[in-house]
Amino acid sequence: MRRLPHPAPLPRLLHPAAWWVWGAGLAVAASRTTNPFLLVLVVAVAGWVVLERREKGVPNAFLPFLVVGLFAIGLRVVMVALLGGGVTGRVVLFRLPEIPLPQWTSGVRLGGAVTLEGVLAAAYEGLRLAAMLACLGATNALASPRRLLRYVPATLYEVGTAVVVALTFAPQLVDDALRVRAARRLRGHSGRGLAEIGRLAVPVLVGALERSLHLAASMESRGYGRAVRRTRSSAALAGALTLLGLFGVVTGLYGVLDGTAPLLLGAPMLAAGSLCAAAALVVGARRDPRTRYRRDPWQGAEWLVSAAGLVPGVVLAVAAASGWPGVVPQQVPATLPSVPLALVAAIAVAALAAPLAPVPPALALARERAS
Amino acid sequence: MIRFEDVAVSYDTDAGAGRGPERLVFSGATFEVPEGELVLVVGPTGSGKSTLLRCVNGLVPHFSGGTLHGRVTVAGRDTRSHRPRDLADVVGFVVQDPVSSFVTDTVEDEIAYGMEALGVDALAMRRRVEETLDVLGLADVRARALRELSGGQQQRVAIGAVLAAGPRILVLDEPTSALDPVAAEDVLAALNRLVHDLGITVVVAEHRLERVIHHADRVVLVGDGSVSGLLDPAEAMLSSSIFPPVIGLGRALGWTPLPLSVRDARRRAHDLRQSLANASGAAVPGAGSAAGGLPTEGTASTLPTDASRVALPTDATAATAVAPAAVAATDSPRGPVVQTDRLAVRRGGVVALRGVSLSVGPGEVVALMGRNGAGKSTLLASLVGQTKPAAGTIRVGGLDPTRAKPAQVVRHAGLVPQDPSLLLYADSVAQECAAADHDFGVPHGSTAAVLERIAPGIPPEQHPRELSEGQRVSLALAVVLASAPEAVLLDEPTRGLDYAAKRRLLQLLRRLADAGHAVVVATHDVELAAEVATRVVVLAEGEVVADGPAPSVLSGSPAFAPQVAKILHPLAYLTVKDVVAALGEAS
Amino acid sequence: MSGRSRWRTAASMTLVLAVGVAAFGWPFLAAPGSQVGQLGHGTDASFVFVLLMALMCLVLLAELSSGGIDAKTIAVLGVLAAAGGALRVLSAGTAGLEPMFFLLVIAGRALGAAKGFLLGALALLASAFLTAGIGPWTPFQMICCGWVALGAGLLPRAAGWAERWLLAAYGLVCGLLYGAVMNLWFWPFMGSSAPAGAGYVPGAGASANLGHYAVFYVTTSLAWDLPRGVLTAALTLVASRPLLRALRRSVRQARFEAPVRFAP
Repeated sequence: MRRLPHPAPLPRLLHPAAWWVWGAGLAVAASRTTNPFLLVLVVAVAGWVVLERREKGVPNAFLPFLVVGLFAIGLRVVMVALLGGGVTGRVVLFRLPEIPLPQWTSGVRLGGAVTLEGVLAAAYEGLRLAAMLACLGATNALASPRRLLRYVPATLYEVGTAVVVALTFAPQLVDDALRVRAARRLRGHSGRGLAEIGRLAVPVLVGALERSLHLAASMESRGYGRAVRRTRSSAALAGALTLLGLFGVVTGLYGVLDGTAPLLLGAPMLAAGSLCAAAALVVGARRDPRTRYRRDPWQGAEWLVSAAGLVPGVVLAVAAASGWPGVVPQQVPATLPSVPLALVAAIAVAALAAPLAPVPPALALARERAS
Repeated sequence: MIRFEDVAVSYDTDAGAGRGPERLVFSGATFEVPEGELVLVVGPTGSGKSTLLRCVNGLVPHFSGGTLHGRVTVAGRDTRSHRPRDLADVVGFVVQDPVSSFVTDTVEDEIAYGMEALGVDALAMRRRVEETLDVLGLADVRARALRELSGGQQQRVAIGAVLAAGPRILVLDEPTSALDPVAAEDVLAALNRLVHDLGITVVVAEHRLERVIHHADRVVLVGDGSVSGLLDPAEAMLSSSIFPPVIGLGRALGWTPLPLSVRDARRRAHDLRQSLANASGAAVPGAGSAAGGLPTEGTASTLPTDASRVALPTDATAATAVAPAAVAATDSPRGPVVQTDRLAVRRGGVVALRGVSLSVGPGEVVALMGRNGAGKSTLLASLVGQTKPAAGTIRVGGLDPTRAKPAQVVRHAGLVPQDPSLLLYADSVAQECAAADHDFGVPHGSTAAVLERIAPGIPPEQHPRELSEGQRVSLALAVVLASAPEAVLLDEPTRGLDYAAKRRLLQLLRRLADAGHAVVVATHDVELAAEVATRVVVLAEGEVVADGPAPSVLSGSPAFAPQVAKILHPLAYLTVKDVVAALGEAS
Repeated sequence: MSGRSRWRTAASMTLVLAVGVAAFGWPFLAAPGSQVGQLGHGTDASFVFVLLMALMCLVLLAELSSGGIDAKTIAVLGVLAAAGGALRVLSAGTAGLEPMFFLLVIAGRALGAAKGFLLGALALLASAFLTAGIGPWTPFQMICCGWVALGAGLLPRAAGWAERWLLAAYGLVCGLLYGAVMNLWFWPFMGSSAPAGAGYVPGAGASANLGHYAVFYVTTSLAWDLPRGVLTAALTLVASRPLLRALRRSVRQARFEAPVRFAP
């Protein structure tokens, strides 16, 4: 059933969902470990795949996410240095003057000894977050999330349409805002400052709302909402399932949060409720006659890329759960973390996504021209 | 295909308070449009053209509310029982502004959108998208973002988007009003192909009649609450209250049958050209020398090398004889109001203006012409300091607008932007005027007084957004004029105006020039330039390629000649009024 | 929206509100010895709640649109969501000061609670798409923004200056609360790297954790949230009058439920 891709697959865009599965798998892998070597490897793998398979013209979200990640590491280290952390170490790097705080702040301290172990623990935790962010950034860069909008279940068709409309209108509104601001000069104002924002917002928004009426007329004339022939029974079923599911979820939550509740009321109820609610999404979508234009096919490459992301996720999750050495490095005393080769290999599998996925068309064209 | 049986439409005057008294938009519409016809709906602004069109696919009353009397049947389906969406496969409706009708952001997705909603299966959808792209000549831009397209391409995508669902009827509400001539031609050619090659029935409302009247098979006149039946175009134009210059000439001279196109009129005008040439001998040599020979040589004007030389009319005799408005105002003691010297502007990496030297004196009306992106708007924007020049200098009333504060600039130069609504943000005309008084530091009531002078009778409690296009331009102009700037600049002011509103604007501009303002109008509207401009400056790729008195620049140019000039070529008459006046003198 | 679907919507809104409270507030609600408490360090519970909130988001959006949304409403929601998204794009330089909130407050007020919720959620989703910032935080943010706009629609009736000040005060509160609530979803994630006395301690009880969180919030987030709240309030004061009028006028003009009649 699984068909190996053609030796040189034709350039095309990979199904966006495949990239999201891949990214989620890698992010899960990152979330399971605080081993800095493994985390850096995750970032490197994500960055390399972005470099190899990001379609030209898609904004590179990887870099901003990486910057935010670095910022998170820095913030954590500074905070631990100033406020102390959950790890009490023995190797004191330096001492900050400690500011005595009143009694009621219970347990908070300001300043004092900064330990190597504390700083390292904070840096590892920060790195873990940064690696997860890098995975998300890579996914955003590899498969523009707006392409996912084509795959929303039909139950969410209307909402999806509203988002599509919003994405179409937003750049126009930015242009409008700039034009209105330029026009403010014509009345002798600079268009800057807080009070001006109100003045700017009104013409932009009123103009936009006026256009929204034209849009509505155009949508109505083009058959929007025509094909909705959900049968009364399926609608009622979906409604009932929704309520039942939500009720189940709430009960389940109560169960897992309250220590005295019977075990059955907890996780099983939660799962059952979630299933019910998810089923409502599917049932509501049944018999929806609307169709979609040019869906991306789900072929061998999609299976392989998804698998390449899921392998490290599953392996790291299992490793963390069963306490393999090297997944969570020893914190006190600080030692150089070991590098478990099995885990390195598992993460490296994610890098296979780059050769496994077809080259996106515009990138392929650019590469051909360059060579 | 489309049957109107004694149709009338009325709206409640107050939607909130139950059933108020009803306002009748029109009544007595009875006609039947046969298959394959191109029907043109003609009427002044606010006469109910849009309402009539929206009846065809049931947007009135299903979408707009209100009461529909009588019966509209489209391809056998009654709009009473079929909502617009149920007619999507029968009638395609294209709204006026294509940009605001787009749901998605790329060409292909937009064309497919309607079919997705109708549930066309994937294979058929793919095929129809390809067919639609071919029919409308959009295959090259299929993957492009809609906002990067030109106006004409956007309008064609909007047409394709409704056409893809396979309707046999297309309804278009002013498809070319907001477009420049080239884009309009582009869209009309596409429409013509649909009618002639595919036999699609088209109903179109348009107030730029000169663009469409010769394509029309039938005309429906709307006005004063009544709707005519299907008329022959020439017959309809005899009684229509709005008409293009070619019809105006025919009507003034009593030609029957009325010629509808320049080609027909030119054939008919052989004798007229003879008698005009004999009658006003004084005009012909001057005009002849400017516009004689091949049309391409006709743009006989001096390329500006020196700002002071440019301002002089090169052919004073022609200018005074043909365009009476051109009383040489340049030799005013005050010197030029607007002056640029080797001005260059870069916008987003592109050179928008390159070495533009221009000077405009008080009392002059200068028409800036040229295709889209030639730098017209950029020039106006830099005159009010909205863009910074990369090189060269600008002087407006002795002030450098790029350095001065906005509050100072507005005392010397006022610009009405292409979309006048950008200037308006208050809730009522009165508040708008009061705000303008406050903005410019002029005594309370000044703006309202200006408005009353230039456009009397606009109700002060009206919301600026609910004014007609013409009134909105007037209001924006009043706001701009409140600070009494020496230079009045207008960017494309006739976009969306009907003939009557345009006539009022023309008179206003002339009065402003007579009062000593320097007026600069960036426009595609050759008729506007012909009527009011004393000088025409043509920009191309950011450079001035022609600068001279209106008659000599306009009459010979194939792109910028008004209809009358095309009919009477090589004689340099620009307007019907000129012709009538010349004939009157002769007799 | 018919009467029956109205109560169903209200019921599901309330249930999702309960889920939301649990999803955000579980560090305080989890009793010692409960199943969540046994999940060990907070990461696993956080994962469960991320998935749960994503599902809740979808279910609620589906429920709100189950009766079908007509073209006018879709267009108005889309355009306002675009405005929110555009504000967020334009303000990308202001370090998350999010002027989007004032639009949500004002639009929620004009559109009412149910449409307000949809608008809030969609505006945030649109802005996440525009900035390519989709992540596990998106469902949490969507629900929070939905609540912000929904709350504005539920505020008591007022007019004139009273309404302006009411909305401004609400904007200030929202700016602060949004930060407090949004920090909650990742707070347990901090694990041992949270500052001493400011981290989540599983099984330590509600009051202890609440105290820890208060410290955490004041030391890390208040510096961002206070300016945001003040900005929202100031913008609301300045712009609410003309914007509310413009919005209400547009809603009136759109004639959402205009009577349609046929006469012979």
